[in-house]
Amino acid sequence: MKPATRKRAWNNSAFAYQSKFDSVQTENTTQMKESNVADDEKTIEINKTLNESPETSKPTPPSFKSNSNWIDKFEPKTCEEVAVHPKKLAELKDWLLHCAAVHKQHPAQICLLTGPSGSGKTAAVRALARAQNYELQEWINPVDRDMINTLGDQTSNYTGSQIDFFKSFLFRSSRYKSLLGSQKRLVLVEDFPNMILSSVDIFEDILEEFSKYGKAPLLFIVADSKSRSLNISYTLFTEELKNRYHIHHISFNPIAVTLLQKAMKRFCALMREQQFSDTYKVPSETIIDSIVFAAQGDIRNALINLHFASLKGAGALPTERVESCEIKGKSKKKLSTLKTIRRDESVTMLHALGRVFNPKRLPNGNFTHKPEDITDSFASEPKRFIDLIHANYLPHFREIEHVVEAANALSIADNIITEYREEALALTALNLAVRSIMQTNESPVTAWMPIRAARHNHQDLSKLQKISGISNSLYATDYGSYVQMINACKKIEK
Amino acid sequence: MALWVDKHRPRELSKLDYHKVQAENLRNLCQQGDFPHLMFYGPSGAGKKTRIMCLLRELYGAGVERLRNETMTFTTPSNRKVEVMTVGSNYHLEVNPSDAGIYDRVVVIDLIKQVAQTHQIDASGQREFKVIVLSEVDELTKDAQHALRRTMEKYVATCRIILSVNSTSRVIPAIRSRCLGIRVAAPNEEEITSVLQLTCKREGLTLPAELAARIVDKSEHNLRRALLMLEACKVQQYPFTGQQDIVELDWQVYLRETANQIVTEQTPAKLEKIRDRLYELLAQGVPPDMIFRGLVEQLVRNCDMSIKAKTLEYATLYEHRMQNGSKHIFHLEAFVAQFMNIYKKFISESMMMDDF
Repeated sequence: MKPATRKRAWNNSAFAYQSKFDSVQTENTTQMKESNVADDEKTIEINKTLNESPETSKPTPPSFKSNSNWIDKFEPKTCEEVAVHPKKLAELKDWLLHCAAVHKQHPAQICLLTGPSGSGKTAAVRALARAQNYELQEWINPVDRDMINTLGDQTSNYTGSQIDFFKSFLFRSSRYKSLLGSQKRLVLVEDFPNMILSSVDIFEDILEEFSKYGKAPLLFIVADSKSRSLNISYTLFTEELKNRYHIHHISFNPIAVTLLQKAMKRFCALMREQQFSDTYKVPSETIIDSIVFAAQGDIRNALINLHFASLKGAGALPTERVESCEIKGKSKKKLSTLKTIRRDESVTMLHALGRVFNPKRLPNGNFTHKPEDITDSFASEPKRFIDLIHANYLPHFREIEHVVEAANALSIADNIITEYREEALALTALNLAVRSIMQTNESPVTAWMPIRAARHNHQDLSKLQKISGISNSLYATDYGSYVQMINACKKIEK
Repeated sequence: MALWVDKHRPRELSKLDYHKVQAENLRNLCQQGDFPHLMFYGPSGAGKKTRIMCLLRELYGAGVERLRNETMTFTTPSNRKVEVMTVGSNYHLEVNPSDAGIYDRVVVIDLIKQVAQTHQIDASGQREFKVIVLSEVDELTKDAQHALRRTMEKYVATCRIILSVNSTSRVIPAIRSRCLGIRVAAPNEEEITSVLQLTCKREGLTLPAELAARIVDKSEHNLRRALLMLEACKVQQYPFTGQQDIVELDWQVYLRETANQIVTEQTPAKLEKIRDRLYELLAQGVPPDMIFRGLVEQLVRNCDMSIKAKTLEYATLYEHRMQNGSKHIFHLEAFVAQFMNIYKKFISESMMMDDF
């Protein structure tokens, strides 16, 4: 099992399976087209018939001419098409040029590319590599082979550890050219072997070896994640490691709205072309705008949504109509209500704290961000969020009258959350805390206030001078100050 | 360089300074071959531990006074190591399981098992059982108390347990019914005075009656505190004078200042400063209920009659929540906020009255 380069969709999507339907489709195509025409002409009639016969309302997969993944067609081919900020792109380009320049002396350059998911990291690398004639050699974690035969015995050929595979891949792919091409090579690691993630030491050894023997630049692509423990770029690529191996760190931001809009225009232009025009129908401006808004800088997500919104067959269905109406209706006012197309809005803890302490209100008096939504975002760590609220809520209050209610609610929340036997109660407590702070603070102080970490009340037991046989609390309450004084005086006497 | 508290602690039941009738009863208890699990209860500094040690000496002779300190290590189910200091002799083991925090259950079970599973080697002329002294049992979690109840029954043949608690109300009824309760009341003023005078006589000092009276007053019927105060006074200034300063516990002084600050200003910013002070006290290891009590006493002393009732009402509410909850500071702070609010209202109302 030699991990070889693989033709990989630059974009994986849930819709990839649709290519399977192609064979089935050919039979239905003619029938489909008829219905499409009918749709455009007499929607209301179709709606009636659909209501009467539910079996026809099932979404019928649209037809595709080729077997390739639909999403590949939208891949940016040139650097100009990549929807990444030009500065960041230039930075990556400079690195590649730098690699080429120092290729003779230091061939084993290492770069780390980070950014949120869907910020065009892989697309940028692929486009640049194509432009500069680099051949991409990508590592893909080998899938487990059948280790066990039908009788349940272990087979004799032991496959060896993944780490060894990875090492030999790095070594070989950077040293040996492909027989077919004579291009420069760029080793790409996006898929980290599992063992590496658990141990920095192994990773260090590998990097050490690569920096000695590698003959081609190595590029790591890591998607940012919210929690620190899952964040590879944080846990694996420590500052020390980056310095030691001269790892160049390029960090991408979420794609800006303007760039995203430009990309959407390109997609739409592609859709109008001859080869796609029987599959796609370019959706209206408002739908595209709302998709851009909902994607929040995630171009992959935007493209999937665009695909969904512009399929001819699917778009004709009444359920889809309702969906698109919803987008039209609400995209202007508040897009966060778009449940179906919206990407899960990821809120950082500090952001959410801001929403709690300085709540915005809609004209009708409701909160812009509902306490329930904030609660849901932190359902996995209610205790921590309550502690943070408690540590930071006081400076945002002007009047003690308002503090009373908030402090009272926090006290109740603590009592509720202590009841560990019922899991749902933790959420209730969090909701209570969040809601009470939002509700009770009638005139929040709006000033820049740094967020402080919650204090943990762990007693510094080592500091307490202990007398054997006397408990800590007793020492603190009764003995402490006297013993210190008595001992100090006795020392002086000596 | 022992403290006076330890140096002059009575070692035998017959030498106890007060509660002499009770001492006689305890001696009778030992004369019988057997005795049940015991629970000594009474306020802090009343002499529970002294009586327990006297009782053990009565049982086993002077051997119990050869103490050695040991650090026992327990492994929790989650594979955490918990270290607990123990003090023991050949005959008994003294431990404060609440030092282990939330892992007290493991300590209670493992410790009693370890002790109870080994019989006394030399049974001739000795008691057949060992004694385990558990202090501050009322601080144990409910979980640990239930574990204790089972182990008490199981190993009754080889060991006796003496519990020392401040208040029986926080001990589960199942444990209360398994023990013979012995109440050790706090000494009254004359008793403390006589102990102070006796101590001074042994040390070769003279104690003015006025100073003794003031120490007794400050000690809140806590003999331990009274003796520590006396010793602190001695190192500060000797010969004693009637009017000399009595050193107070630093945390009490700190708490009183905190209470005064609450009264001076009632704003969220002040509340935050108060919170920092409360954190400081908690970090020093002062139990939250003592903080709460001290705070309420000081506040009530400072405020007008009309808001005293309201203050106490809130105090009871939040103290109860504090016992049920896990973050003490939340409830302390909520109480302070409530007090600030009613105090502020009261002040502004009385200002209005003045205007009329």
